[in-house]
Amino acid sequence: MSAAYEVLSLDELDRVPVAEGLEWRPIRRRLGIRSFGTNAYTSERVGGWVVEEHVEGSGHEELYVVVSGRARFTLDGEELDAPAGTIVFLPENDVTRKAVAEEEGTTVLAFGGWPDRPFEPSQWEWYFEASEHEPERAIEIMREGIAELGERGWLLYELARHEARAGRRDHAREHLTKAVELEPRAAERAGGDEHLRELLP
Amino acid sequence: MTRWASAHLDEIGRRDTWITIREHFGVRALGINAFVGAEAGDEIIHAHAEDWHGHEELYVVLEGHATFTVDGDEIDAPARTIVYVREPSARRGAVAKAPGTTILAAGGEPGAAFEPSPYDAAWQWMQRGTEHYRAGRYAEAAAEMRDGLAELPENSALRYNLACYSALAREPEEALAALRQAVEEDPRFAELARSDPDFASLREDPRFTQLVG
Repeated sequence: MSAAYEVLSLDELDRVPVAEGLEWRPIRRRLGIRSFGTNAYTSERVGGWVVEEHVEGSGHEELYVVVSGRARFTLDGEELDAPAGTIVFLPENDVTRKAVAEEEGTTVLAFGGWPDRPFEPSQWEWYFEASEHEPERAIEIMREGIAELGERGWLLYELARHEARAGRRDHAREHLTKAVELEPRAAERAGGDEHLRELLP
Repeated sequence: MTRWASAHLDEIGRRDTWITIREHFGVRALGINAFVGAEAGDEIIHAHAEDWHGHEELYVVLEGHATFTVDGDEIDAPARTIVYVREPSARRGAVAKAPGTTILAAGGEPGAAFEPSPYDAAWQWMQRGTEHYRAGRYAEAAAEMRDGLAELPENSALRYNLACYSALAREPEEALAALRQAVEEDPRFAELARSDPDFASLREDPRFTQLVG
């Protein structure tokens, strides 16, 4: 294998449990893709999520490919049966979308980006990954995110949260203060977090 | 534009082995298409590099079993294999090992907003031109490019191919005129022409040398 290319199987991707049976299987970060977002999502059980309910706050258009199994999408309240080989495209970022597995081991690939400007990675890639680690490793991951994207509100918020978990209250307070300056909604979220609420400015 | 759309791969239009996902949905953020090999041994992704577009490319075997070749390395790729080609200059291609092998391909240029290739817009003339070219019918291939340019006069990819096919058809005046205009529209064509074997008949012509450097 050369640096020019990499080969792996969807089944070798890391599994990061998110919610309701959904496992995030990071592709973009694993391979260092820089021109579009792409990840896989799987659920081992029927009824588990393969796309969590969300709108695309990033403004991305998104394209989903059902690679195996069968999914049931709900798009702005409308249901769609999606066997393997189905492609679902959402040009509008504010469509509320969700998908659940109708068969065990259903796999959905997601691709996304902005139609009119260069891609840059989303902050959530780092805090999703950090969420499954002990505080020290989680802090390292959040610092990697800040090194790549610069100081962003939600990256600093999650850095502060993991620092608070690790007992580094001074660092956590400093980073939470910066996070709230950059992303005012972080204050509301911190108010509901057992580690952060006492550190709010 | 609708708020969402869906289709099964079997319902999307095909151009030879190419399932035109990006065009079908009007995807604007990245290039994304699928390619099918109907029978074992069929070429699914023709051998090519992506220097021209500067794209990184991600391939996912959705169904069947393929053999990729990247920079001369053979890669066995059953369903669910991901092949990520980071380096645009890496020459890559794929052949089906099983009937109905389907490969999803996604690509884009890091640091740039996605733009569809001029080859996409001109596909029908390109495809017919390639068929003539492969059969050695160079004058007919050039005629296809002229027909395409009548519809898409700004398409520099059609113009470059007209230069290639005209050179092969031993029509040096038309070849040089088309190449000159293509290079004016996009100077990268000069570099491409320099090593393009289609211009072998013009290598000794000083006008060609002056044009491509």
